[in-house]
Amino acid sequence: MSAFLAGLGLILAAGVAAALIRGARARAGDAVYQLLLIIGCITGGAGSIRVLTVGAPVSLTMHGAMPGGDWVLGIDALSAVFLLVIFGVGAACAVFGTHDLATERAAGRRATWFTQLSFATLLASIALVVAARTVVVFLGAWEVMAISSYVLIVAHHEEQDVRRSGLIYLVATHTATLALFAMFATWDVTAANWSFDALAAASPSLSPGTTIAVLLLALVGFGFKAGFVPLHFWLPPAHSAAPSHVSALMSGIVIKTGIYGMLRVLLLLGGAPAWWGWLVLGLGVSSGVLGVLWALAQHDIKRLLAYHSVENIGIILMGIGVGALGVAYHAPVIAMLGFAGGLLHTVNHALFKSLLFLGAGAVYRATGTRNMEELGGLARRMPLTWLGFVIGAAAIIGVPPFNGFVSEWLVYQGLFAAGQTSEVSRLAILGIPALALISGLALACFTKVAGIVFLGTPRTASAAAVTEAARGSYTPALALAAACGVLGTIPSLGIGLVSATARELAGVGTVGLPSAVTSGAWTISLVALSTLVLSALLWVTRRALGRRRTTRREPTWACAYDAPTPRMQYTSSSFAAPLLSIFGPLSGVRVERSATAMRTHAVDLVLDGMALPLWRRVHRAALRLRGMQQGRLHLYLLYVMAAVLVLLGYLAFGSRLS
Amino acid sequence: MTGSASATSIAAMLLLLIAAPIIPGVASRTKAILTGRRGSPVWQLYADLWKLARRGIVRSTTTTWIFQLAPIVLLTTTIVAAALLPLDGRASTLRFAGDAVAFAGLLGLGRFALALAALDTGSSFEGMGASREVTFASLTEPGLFIAFATLGVIAHDFSLSAMLADTVGRGAASAAAVPSLVMVALSVFALALAECSRVPVDDPSTHLELTMIHEVMVLDHSGPDLAMILYAGALKLGVFAAILLNVLVAASAERGWNSGAGAVVALLGGLVGMGVAVGVVESIMARLRQPKVPLYLAGGSALALFGLILVLR
Repeated sequence: MSAFLAGLGLILAAGVAAALIRGARARAGDAVYQLLLIIGCITGGAGSIRVLTVGAPVSLTMHGAMPGGDWVLGIDALSAVFLLVIFGVGAACAVFGTHDLATERAAGRRATWFTQLSFATLLASIALVVAARTVVVFLGAWEVMAISSYVLIVAHHEEQDVRRSGLIYLVATHTATLALFAMFATWDVTAANWSFDALAAASPSLSPGTTIAVLLLALVGFGFKAGFVPLHFWLPPAHSAAPSHVSALMSGIVIKTGIYGMLRVLLLLGGAPAWWGWLVLGLGVSSGVLGVLWALAQHDIKRLLAYHSVENIGIILMGIGVGALGVAYHAPVIAMLGFAGGLLHTVNHALFKSLLFLGAGAVYRATGTRNMEELGGLARRMPLTWLGFVIGAAAIIGVPPFNGFVSEWLVYQGLFAAGQTSEVSRLAILGIPALALISGLALACFTKVAGIVFLGTPRTASAAAVTEAARGSYTPALALAAACGVLGTIPSLGIGLVSATARELAGVGTVGLPSAVTSGAWTISLVALSTLVLSALLWVTRRALGRRRTTRREPTWACAYDAPTPRMQYTSSSFAAPLLSIFGPLSGVRVERSATAMRTHAVDLVLDGMALPLWRRVHRAALRLRGMQQGRLHLYLLYVMAAVLVLLGYLAFGSRLS
Repeated sequence: MTGSASATSIAAMLLLLIAAPIIPGVASRTKAILTGRRGSPVWQLYADLWKLARRGIVRSTTTTWIFQLAPIVLLTTTIVAAALLPLDGRASTLRFAGDAVAFAGLLGLGRFALALAALDTGSSFEGMGASREVTFASLTEPGLFIAFATLGVIAHDFSLSAMLADTVGRGAASAAAVPSLVMVALSVFALALAECSRVPVDDPSTHLELTMIHEVMVLDHSGPDLAMILYAGALKLGVFAAILLNVLVAASAERGWNSGAGAVVALLGGLVGMGVAVGVVESIMARLRQPKVPLYLAGGSALALFGLILVLR
């Protein structure tokens, strides 16, 4: 526990150092900030590793004059898994961010110390959310996390779009917090105090109605943060508005606190009824399919990646849903597979999504645009950024030998095992084609992103003029890419990381993953190894063949047309058009035609189609109340009198009414 | 897995690797006979591969390392995917729980690499081909997984060896499962035609770039690169032929092959049979208009879904 607190302290100290050492000495400030933050992350991570290897949870209680009762912090297996990812990805994002911000500062655009301070605060607050063991600490850390995220999202507040995105985020996150307050209040009625232990002790005595209320409020409160459809609408604007390293941290880590919250509530309640499992599985499927479909329609690379987070949260929820079904139907193996798959996908997604955002951030920094139609040919100009990005793309589409495959493999097996049961739970097998559709569409989408942005020839002069990003930009990305490769080629590592937590979630009587799965993980290593060896052999053979022949360079074949221009290349819109047209209006693409032009743009069916119209209607209804606000004192006195009379009436006769 | 079983599985693997190029040859031979032409010999692809392997390579000036890597990744993933199948009707060379997912994933990786290589050239034709390929593939994948799920439910195991090989699958496949197996076989055949870029989804013999899907993606590949891509294509046909053969055998016979050697001979028959079937389809029907392809794929997947519903009951 002391390692965790020391880590937290160092991270906060890093933020303060960046705030103090600024101005002319900003470069020194950057160095101190990175150093302290990295040491902090390593220290904090070491504490989590100890919890995972020793297997015993640790906790710390602060008695005395703390507001809201004792403050309790603790790290169990679930917290440890999340903390490891938080510290690992957090450090990578911070290093990238420091270099990214340094270029901005060098251009004289603005001071960066405040962003650094907010980033350190955000990182520390996320860690605290995961370690909190009382409601007060949890909600406090949750709010600090929400507010510091907001501050970071609106870093470029001089742009109107950014301010609007920030506002949408603020509304969404506070609606979520409201739901969480309601959830804990509903629960708290029977609990002795505000600690999680007391909540867990009170769970068995909760009435069925209260349990339903708690589960639904948790789903809304944590769902807003996790960002599944239809609660995802804040996510794409916020991610595209925020500085890239912040988008990476938000997409990789912050939205995962929603997943953490759901799992923590499950642990405290000791399982959930079957309907909750079905609901989560259904939400996962719809979020996965719609998320990737909407991603396909995007032109802004960071918005596209944000929609892919919606998709991947869907896959995670599918795993959790299967796990919950396994618990509800007393099938520990299914529960184990589902929870392990969901958890491992949480870890994996944190790694490859932050990697992809760092790549997108490097591209944005180099070219000044996020519009894919204006990019192209960057692979030659930014080879290391491209290497990281293409590994991230292969990981997110779930192909071996990368880490995304391993967690999808577990979820598939959970779905299949559910299909083997004799109860109604076997219908979960229908999730298999859904997951297959999701990964098929993801492959299409990432072929588009990687191909259009990085390959071919540059579509604009600004894309043609770029050079490789700074070492501080691609090194963290490549470190994340290496992690994706290691977890993909040695799946047993990742599975070992999450299996203790999955066992806790799957409940009593669980022995662990079936041996077929744990030994299968090693066979995947063998598959990966043979793929690599065979590729190397073929490469060598081709070189041997080529040694005696000529290898020439000629322009691309364009059917004998010898003056091709970059504008003749396939565009991002045309690449996605066939798939989007298959799904029709569901894809959210709006077409505007005039006599001489046609343009398409992607709308968010939930934000633009539902949330904003609803909000406008509320606003219009509220305007009607304006008649009451006349600004005359005697009118207000009348209102006060009326209110007092109504209350007196209630006191006098209310008891008789009830 | 006994020693002899693994010996036959390696023999079957070698047979597949050697005999796969015969499938496109048989297909075009069948087409030639049915349409009354003389046609090319059955071993035409061997000759083409031999010729290409000795040629020099011309690469586009816009391309990067991904263009050079793609044919290798495509071929490697197809070979490793084949190694996951129980080619001798007993057990595969590489077998583990849920290896069906790895099978689809490996084919996906090959497709991803080839589509990126197509975009690497900066050619609008190849971009178009890549777009169509990934579009149709993303609709094929759910159907393939439904078929796997059906086979898995019948075999009570989600690994290809159990789903397709005689030992486990055959024992469990009661008469009640036969209709499902037939539907799965039809569905896999329909999806295999799409996956392997054959009529009615794609036409390997077309000469107009605008109408191509797979062929247009590889316009800029030449020499050994092209040879690897062509060979991987034939191998993919062989892989699906092996799946089909095992499903059909499971549907028709009470017991499987008594000897691994018999299964290896049957595999050769299956490869030729696949070629004939593809050739017949290509002779009797034209390819579909591209807007109709999603319907075709959905139909193929729905067939497997009915099979799944039948075994779930």
